[in-house]
Amino acid sequence: MIRIDFNRLRFLVIDDNAHMRRIIRTLLHGFGAREVHEAEDGAVGLDAFTHYTPDIVLTDWAMPIFDGLELTQMIRQPNANANPFVPIIMITGHTEKDRVTAARDAGVTEFLAKPISAKALYQRVVNVVANPRPFIKTKTYFGPDRRRNTNSNYVGPERRKDGPAEVIRQQPLLEKARRLA
Amino acid sequence: MIEIKPNEPQVVSHADYDVITPDVSRLRKAVRPAEPGEADQVELAETALRRISNDFIHWMRDECGRLDAARRAVQDQGLTADTRQALFLTAHDVKGYSETLGYPEARRVAESLCRLLEYTPELSRIPLLIVDQHVDAVCAIVREHKREDITAVSAELTGRLRQVTDEFLMIENRDRPDILAILRSAPRTDWDLL
Repeated sequence: MIRIDFNRLRFLVIDDNAHMRRIIRTLLHGFGAREVHEAEDGAVGLDAFTHYTPDIVLTDWAMPIFDGLELTQMIRQPNANANPFVPIIMITGHTEKDRVTAARDAGVTEFLAKPISAKALYQRVVNVVANPRPFIKTKTYFGPDRRRNTNSNYVGPERRKDGPAEVIRQQPLLEKARRLA
Repeated sequence: MIEIKPNEPQVVSHADYDVITPDVSRLRKAVRPAEPGEADQVELAETALRRISNDFIHWMRDECGRLDAARRAVQDQGLTADTRQALFLTAHDVKGYSETLGYPEARRVAESLCRLLEYTPELSRIPLLIVDQHVDAVCAIVREHKREDITAVSAELTGRLRQVTDEFLMIENRDRPDILAILRSAPRTDWDLL
């Protein structure tokens, strides 16, 4: 079994609803986190991201000023800020397929549909911490590898040059932790 | 070509894309095998949430106040881009977290209101009566939530509101097949389903 020491991680929670922020903060503290910073919109969130250099960003989608999708696009600028690779968990009430696809294509690492539960949030955090994915940089995309699975039924052109479609595996951190123990 | 530097991402370049393995040493320090007897972290978090649950009724009343204020702005100024956005964001908040607070019935009404506001191509065509009925339904569910028959009553109310809303949306979007497909599709909760 895997264990995440949440007290070793720094979180940034961005949501315009104070009650929602309190729920997420309460859950993270319950998991054992100590450092949970909050921001009430995308603009303040971007500032907090630069200031606090969080290990994980949790953001809402629908927010005033600029939204969670725009925030993600601003963070996922290679060479433009301290950590463009930071895991971003989008927590949102938007559940339509086109929205989920848009979040993925903006560079979001994990998608968590509201209503949230302790278990669902925990699973997303475990996933980004224990199974980090490599990043892909193309002319039009910079973000976590979007190919999570191979689809044997896929028909169509191979969009990446240099060979057939493949899932790029990265050694799970749990294995590394066991090896170091 | 592989470039490896301490704490720098490893980059493998291909013809038209790079594969970058970021430095995850900070994340790595937080991962370890579980030890016997350790408390379940999910249960600890659920307990923490239960400790603040007495506040939830007040939060829901706050949201009803926000919904009512947004509705009044619509009544006073009409459905403009600004009043629509304020009402949508409030309804979206209620949709997003009322179930976590123990009010799943309110979530379903708020979801219907969000669909109405998001997918009606011409705001001026939205009957304000339907907006009012949604807002009133959310507030009634919160106000009457201790009733034993709240689930049945709200299900009937929500079903009727959703039916009226969907009939309206289907007519208003009859020439927009992409929107009709969205309206008919099931919600997605994870992109593994894509």
